[in-house]
Amino acid sequence: MVGPIYIIAIALGLAFLLGFFKKLNANIAQTFMMAGVGAMSFISVQWLFGHLAGMVTETVTYTAGFKPPFSISLQMGAMEAGVTSMINIFGFLGGVYLWRKLKEMGLNAIIIYMVTLMGLNVIVLTRDLFNLFVFLEVSTIGIVGLILLERGVNTISSGFKYLVAGGVISSFMLIGTIMIYKYAGSLYINDIITSNIAATKGGMVALFLLLIAVILELKPFPANGWALDVYESANSGISAFLSAGFATAMLFVLYKLMPMFPIEWQAMVAVVGGITFIGANLLGIRQKNAQRLLGYSSAGQMGLLTAVIGLSSYLNEQFIFILVTILLGHYLAKAGLFWLAGIVKEKEINSWSLLRREPLLVVLFGVFILTLLGMPPFPSFFGKWELIMKLAAGGQTTWILAILIGSFLEAVYLFKWFGYVLKGENEGLPVLQIKPEKIISPVVFATVSVMAGYYAGSLLGETNFAFYIPLMFIAAIGLLEFLPAFVKNTFAIAGMGYLAYTTLPGLFETDLLRFIFMGIFILGGILTLFAGYYYKGKRQGFYPSALIMFAGLAGIIQAETLLQFFFSWELMTIGSYFLIIRGKRSMTHGFSYMLFSLAGAYAILAAFGMVDAQVGNMLSALGGVTSHATLIFALLAIGFMTKTATLGLHIWLPGAHAEAESDVSPMVSAILLKAGVFGLLLTFFGMGAESAGNSSILYVLGWLGAITALVGNLAASFQEDAKRLLAYSSIGQLGYILFAYAMATQLGWIGGFLYVINHFAFKAILFLTIGAVVLRVKTHNMYEMGGLIKRMPLAFIAALIGIIALSGVPPLSGFAGKWFFYNAVILKGWYFQGAVVFFAGVIAFLYSYRILQTVFLGQLKDEHRHVKEIPLTFLIPIYILVIGIMIFSMYTHWVLEPITQYLTAYFPSDPVHWDGAAATTSLGYWNGTWVMYIIGIMFVLILGWLLWLNAKATKVKQFNMVFSGERPFTPETTHMAHNMYAGYNKALGFITAPGITTFWNKVAEFVTDAAGFIRRIYTGNGQTYAFHIVAYIVIIYFMIF
Amino acid sequence: MENIGLENIALFSGLILSLVGLWGLLTQKNIIKMIVGFALLDTGIHLIMIAVGYVKNSTAPIIGEGVTKANAADVIADPIPQALVLTAIVIGLGITALMLAYAVKMHQKKKSLDINHYKDLKW
Amino acid sequence: MNDIIIKLLWTLLGLFIVLNWGMLMGASMRKIVARVAHRRGIPIYQPWLDLIKLYAKRTSISHGVMFYLGPVFRLGGGVGIFLFLPLIYGSEYWSNFSWAGDLVLILYFQFFGMLGMALGAGEGGHPNSVIGITRGLSQFTTVEIPLTLAVISLALQYNTLSITEIVAAQQGGVQNWTLFTNPVATVAGMLSLLGALRHAPFNLVKAPNEVPIGPPTEYHSAFLGVLRTNGAVLHVVEAALFMNLFFGGATNWAEFIIKTFLIYFWSVFVGVVHPRFRIEQSVVWFLKIPLAIGVLAVILYI
Repeated sequence: MVGPIYIIAIALGLAFLLGFFKKLNANIAQTFMMAGVGAMSFISVQWLFGHLAGMVTETVTYTAGFKPPFSISLQMGAMEAGVTSMINIFGFLGGVYLWRKLKEMGLNAIIIYMVTLMGLNVIVLTRDLFNLFVFLEVSTIGIVGLILLERGVNTISSGFKYLVAGGVISSFMLIGTIMIYKYAGSLYINDIITSNIAATKGGMVALFLLLIAVILELKPFPANGWALDVYESANSGISAFLSAGFATAMLFVLYKLMPMFPIEWQAMVAVVGGITFIGANLLGIRQKNAQRLLGYSSAGQMGLLTAVIGLSSYLNEQFIFILVTILLGHYLAKAGLFWLAGIVKEKEINSWSLLRREPLLVVLFGVFILTLLGMPPFPSFFGKWELIMKLAAGGQTTWILAILIGSFLEAVYLFKWFGYVLKGENEGLPVLQIKPEKIISPVVFATVSVMAGYYAGSLLGETNFAFYIPLMFIAAIGLLEFLPAFVKNTFAIAGMGYLAYTTLPGLFETDLLRFIFMGIFILGGILTLFAGYYYKGKRQGFYPSALIMFAGLAGIIQAETLLQFFFSWELMTIGSYFLIIRGKRSMTHGFSYMLFSLAGAYAILAAFGMVDAQVGNMLSALGGVTSHATLIFALLAIGFMTKTATLGLHIWLPGAHAEAESDVSPMVSAILLKAGVFGLLLTFFGMGAESAGNSSILYVLGWLGAITALVGNLAASFQEDAKRLLAYSSIGQLGYILFAYAMATQLGWIGGFLYVINHFAFKAILFLTIGAVVLRVKTHNMYEMGGLIKRMPLAFIAALIGIIALSGVPPLSGFAGKWFFYNAVILKGWYFQGAVVFFAGVIAFLYSYRILQTVFLGQLKDEHRHVKEIPLTFLIPIYILVIGIMIFSMYTHWVLEPITQYLTAYFPSDPVHWDGAAATTSLGYWNGTWVMYIIGIMFVLILGWLLWLNAKATKVKQFNMVFSGERPFTPETTHMAHNMYAGYNKALGFITAPGITTFWNKVAEFVTDAAGFIRRIYTGNGQTYAFHIVAYIVIIYFMIF
Repeated sequence: MENIGLENIALFSGLILSLVGLWGLLTQKNIIKMIVGFALLDTGIHLIMIAVGYVKNSTAPIIGEGVTKANAADVIADPIPQALVLTAIVIGLGITALMLAYAVKMHQKKKSLDINHYKDLKW
Repeated sequence: MNDIIIKLLWTLLGLFIVLNWGMLMGASMRKIVARVAHRRGIPIYQPWLDLIKLYAKRTSISHGVMFYLGPVFRLGGGVGIFLFLPLIYGSEYWSNFSWAGDLVLILYFQFFGMLGMALGAGEGGHPNSVIGITRGLSQFTTVEIPLTLAVISLALQYNTLSITEIVAAQQGGVQNWTLFTNPVATVAGMLSLLGALRHAPFNLVKAPNEVPIGPPTEYHSAFLGVLRTNGAVLHVVEAALFMNLFFGGATNWAEFIIKTFLIYFWSVFVGVVHPRFRIEQSVVWFLKIPLAIGVLAVILYI
């Protein structure tokens, strides 16, 4: 092994040598520098691998031939090896990135770059306190020197502010250091740790000054304005250096020095970190400048890591894992994003839509944003997961809350930014010029992030591989993006088919619940993907997104542990977000979808933490939860209800579903919503409804479901946009489903399953049909359609069947749902909720009629006279589903009888008796097959009779009708469609007044206003920033002592 | 005077000096004056460091003239703070120089040395 | 096999009786309304003449397939309810196919005809049809609420959703009728019936003056014949449903005829003395007193 001293030797030596050759060609000088940094990286990395492989142990290098405290010693343990590897690799890639800039600035810049890097290495390695101080100053001077790579007045003034603030901080650090020396008699960190100087008041003050200085170097909120200015105005490569290199080293310093401080101070460190995490992320919400935003985020991440260090006593054996994964996430993402900022060259985040010109950049951006947020499959996901689990195990509920709030605030601005990138207007923006050296580094870091995620996951001992197979498949599809859509579509369908083949038969044997949902997910996926054959061209980005969603969906079914479930859940959220935001006007809808989903996911995470703390990490152990069961139950319910779009949490749905592409709408409506239902079912099945707390929550959920159904259906009736109508209808239908499962009786749940299957089938039919119609007529507005039955009879028949199944008219399957509801409601005793649900069911006729009438019937518009039937690629899946619905309606018992038996395990009372197709309860009876026969025969007889009477009815033209003696020839004025239920709207429209949307808007407004108000503390004045620092020290001092 | 002690005088004046320096850094609007404030702060801290290392009635930590290797530990003042001060002075010098360099650059850009004129970046 | 054929024949006979009784009842009601308004009114055999004329018309026009199917759905709806409704208590033959489903089936089967008819008329392309239908659907949503609550109340009272069993529980004298054992539910149901049968004040849906009788405008000849046929059947079976639920059912045809007549007469009686509601008024009206009564009916049985 090459000793760590050579890291310093190489850097210093090269810097000195280069200094002698002032005239040296910049290219050669830089090649030397890169070789040097490469060698430094090599040394750190070999130590890292040595440690990982267990080949070396912690090694201390002594300088000047003495042992400490008489000399400075460098320690190369696993952590040091890791952190110096991070710093040096960053140094290397950052050097590549800055290649042109450094060359332009000449030899001095190259030397400073190397010295700064060396300074950071020493900060990490040294075990001598004063040495630490010296090299901290060296690095600071170096960084401030590098800030001058840009010569704008803002950059220069920000550098000065940085220097002033840094000067104040280092003064305190220096006083602290010398006082520690006075009390401990040594500067060797190990000696100080054992010397117990905190026993004396002076020693305490000394330690305090040192600690607060280190914390201040980590840019705690609100004493961090000086750093934000630099992040904003420096060259993006230098900002990356500051964020990924400098901050990483400083964080390690805090980690290294922590044992010196009294154990009681850990709480203070944690609180300081927590406040920073929340505060910085809150203020980030108002930020529009990309680099400054990243600065806020940087401060926030450091706050989180500071909190982790402060909370280490709760984290036990996982402390290092958590620290390293979250740090790694920050390091990779922040460096990558700053680098991208240098490529984009646009300051405002809403100009980042520029990235779309180069898909690779969008992928990189996505990887970094998700890494930063701790989304799967990236390393920080596992770190955050473990953090929450351990905090829960320690009973630290407040901390869980704080961390989740901070993460959520972070997500708010990151996804707003993401939205701009994916959907923002990019007309009129300058051309994107990518220099090759600038793209290499981000690509490397993104790749590392993916691999590190896999590695982190396997460290947690999960059966990780199985979860990565789909991801690898998706990555492979991603690499095939250049192929035309139909080829990728075939691959995607084949993949889904393989998944069905490998999973469904097994699930059928073992678990009916999972079988049903898996069937919906996979078969639904295949059918809706089939419609994708319609699309020409490459359809960039669609297949990876869709498959990520389906992988997540399949994952939540197959998950056995809480972690696997959550991993898949987040995966599904990400995939569906990408799918939803593909719609034309979907930027805001995708954004609100993501925020609700994330808030829900965090509620689930918190609940999982509490579960894990009590009964371990198996999903099946949910039932064993004893303490806080009601809270856990409520959190899970809320979390899953964000996906089922229950009233109050529904405002994202209409826009997201309506604006999505024609084949995406059915995916996210008919299929994705069921994931929330599945989650609810897991909760209800797992935790039971027996306890008083759970049953009162279920009671609330029951009402909530009923009211959701009512409001959803009513709102659907007042829509002018066909897809919005269907979207609101989904809200209503999911309200029924929630209501059914909240009843927690066997009949209720049978009804629930029936609705789940039914809603899947008819909503897929309707969304596919209407989506295809929209593709043909190029409008969503129903009053601009009309009379399409003449042009698209097959589409009409499908829609008709779908609507009949939806509305619950016998003989189709919807009626079975109503029948079970009546029985269940009466036996459960939820009469009034039931009445609301039945009322909602009748209201469903309003929109059912509306969509059929105004789209397919009434007056055909002139511009649609030659429109074609909807595409065959849509018709095939639609008619497969239609056949499915017919069979399901006729032989409902084929499905419901096994479900009844399955549920008997949970509800031994068995209130429904099956005899073939005849179902009997203590209240009533119903025979689906016979009803079908009777109605069918009767219908045919009457039709035959009418045909016999009326065989020669003359076909007449469109306007041949009684119209007060006039012949209207303008379909627009004769098509009665706009504001169709005017009277009803007058009577009951107030119920659909957008109160909930207004409420959430107010909340958002309040948060952004608060952020806008608080951030005014950053006045831009360097002295104010210095004053913040002094005040910060004083306040914390008085809080501690 | 005898019982006040030289080290206490150094400590006290160092404290005063650094507080004055800090005050100047925080209140003076002129950038050059701020830098002067920083220099004072730095110097004050150096004085404090010296005071911490001072041992009464000891001699300088140099071998010779009654100081042998054997009795060195008993008779000399602690040499480390002095070594540290030397380093700290160098670092302080570096930072002050850098600040001055920045001040020059800022003046070149805006023809102003008032810190209040450099508030374009905020919030 | 024989059984089924015999069953079918009896059912057809029942349908024939109900159809004729429906036409007679309809004619007499029109007569009553006319007399109230100091008119002579139609001759009592007018419906038969109309029906024969309509079916015999040799020319007819069609706007398309759904237009054609509309009346089929409509008549199917009426006949379907007839099929699933037990007519005469204690008679195996007159209980039709009620073993295939209970009260819930009938409640939801009402929509079969409505929806089909609505769609058929919609294809006719006449905007007034659509206005009529939207009004009808709007009004129907709240009309159903008191009925739903009344049905829940009955289900609690008799602990069944089977119509036959509900009727069975009311046997043994007038005092056992729901009318007397559960008067609140009966009131809720009867108020709902006013809306369901769409006489004044709830007849804006087919308001003759404003919309030339709504959806049927475009229908004529055999189409209209089918609709008329359905009207006759539907009125009787709706009345019969209420008879079964609230008034002890019928054990023979005479009782059946008297009771259905009186139930139907109730809506006419209210209708002739009341002006017409606007649609938003009628929607809200059902959400006030009838809703409160319905809620009370359920509360009494919790």
